[in-house]
Amino acid sequence: MKTLIINGSPKGRNGNTEVIIEKFIGSAKNLYQVCYVANEDPLKLAEYMKRFDAVIIVMPLYIHAMPGIMMKLIECMERTIDDGKSMGFIVQSGFRESEHSKYLKRYLTALAHKLNYTYIGTVVRGGSAGICMMPEKMNKKLFKQLQNLGEHFRLTRTFHGDIVEELAKPIRLSKGMSMLLYFLFKLGISDSIFWNGMLKKNNALDRKFDRPFA
Amino acid sequence: MESNLFIKEFDGFDIPCQYMFDLRKTKVKDCVGCWSCWIKTPGRCINTDLDEFYKAYLKADKVIILSKVNQRFVSGNLKTLFDRMIPLFMPDITFKHGEAMHLPRYRKYPDVEIYYQGDFDSLDSKEIYENYLHRTFAQFYSKCEVVKPINQSSMQEISG
Ligand SMILES: Cc1cc2nc3c(=O)[nH]c(=O)nc-3n(C[C@H](O)[C@H](O)[C@H](O)COP(=O)(O)O)c2cc1C
Repeated sequence: MKTLIINGSPKGRNGNTEVIIEKFIGSAKNLYQVCYVANEDPLKLAEYMKRFDAVIIVMPLYIHAMPGIMMKLIECMERTIDDGKSMGFIVQSGFRESEHSKYLKRYLTALAHKLNYTYIGTVVRGGSAGICMMPEKMNKKLFKQLQNLGEHFRLTRTFHGDIVEELAKPIRLSKGMSMLLYFLFKLGISDSIFWNGMLKKNNALDRKFDRPFA
Repeated sequence: MESNLFIKEFDGFDIPCQYMFDLRKTKVKDCVGCWSCWIKTPGRCINTDLDEFYKAYLKADKVIILSKVNQRFVSGNLKTLFDRMIPLFMPDITFKHGEAMHLPRYRKYPDVEIYYQGDFDSLDSKEIYENYLHRTFAQFYSKCEVVKPINQSSMQEISG
C-alpha cells in the first residue's frame, strides 16, 4: 500500500516543501502518492486521505503555525475508525532556529491522536527559506539527512530519532549567538543583504520602508 | 474616542465599532507565499482585497477578535487573515529578543483582545491554542493580554 504525502505549501510544486518531499522519497517513487493542498479541494482531499494507511504531511511554517490553506484541509479531516493508521509531519521554516515550530509541533501531535492515527512524529527544520534557490551542493548535508530519513521510514514506518534530532539543530540560539547576530545586524551584516538585493533587482529598494496603509 | 475594529466569526457580542470584519461573509484570499509584499511592492500584497482592512487595522486602538475554535485551533479563514498580515512587517530580522523576529513596518499597532467560542477536550489543547495566539501577536507587535473563552460577562469587558 502506498503512503500519501501531502504538500501543504501555497507554493505547491515551486517551493521548498517540494524539494524536501523529493529528497525524502528518493528513488522510491512507486511507494508514494503526492497531493498538493494548493491545487485540491480540501473536502475532497480529506476524503481521499481515508484510503491510505499512512499519511505524511509536509508544510512550511507560517507565523508559528500551518499556512491558512493547510488549516482549511485540517478542518475537513475526520477521526478514523480504523485502528493502525499512522500520520507524521515535516515542518520546515525560514528562521534558522527550529524552536519557532514548537507551537505547531504540539498542535500536530495532538491532532494525530485526536484523529485516531498512530503518531509517527514531527520533523522540524529551520533555515530552509532558500533551499529551492540554492545550488544542490550547498544543501548536500540536508539532502543526505532527508534521504536517510526516507529510507528509514520505508523500512520501519517510523522517523529515525537521531536524524530528527540532527535536522532540528539549532533548536534555539545560544545567548552568545543571538548577541553576535544582533551586533552583525547593527553592522549591516545579516539576511537584510539578501532582501535588499532582491528589492534592488526589482527596482523597489527606495520604497523598502513604505507604509502604504498608515 | 477610541477606535475599535471587530473581526468576528460568531454573533451575539457586537458593540458599536468603527470597522466590522465578518469572516463568515468575507472570503479572504489565501497568501500564496510570493513575497511580493517584501521584495516587489513593499508593504502591499499582490491581492488588494484587504486594503481597507489594513487601513482600519492600523488605525484602530483596539482590535477585538471573536474566534470560533475549529479542530481545536483558529479557523482556516482566520489563519489566512493572519498570514496576510505579513505585509505589515519588514522582511528584516532582529535578534534583540534572543530569537529571530521580523521588524515592524509601521510606528504603531493596535492592542488585541481575543474571545473564543468552542470547547477543548483537554487542558493541553486549550493551552496550545492560547499560547499560539499570544506568540502570534507578539510577532505582530501588539499588546495581547486577553485570550479567553467568551461568556455572559464578556460583553461588558469588550465594551469596557
Ligand atoms: C506568510 C509567511 C509567513 C511565514 N512565517 C514564518 C515564521 O513564522 N517562521 C519562520 O521561520 N519562517 C516563516 N516563513 C518562511 C517559510 O516557512 C519558508 O520560507 C519556507 O521555506 C517556505 O516553504 P515553501 O517554499 O514550500 O512554501 C513564512 C513565510 C510566509 C510566506
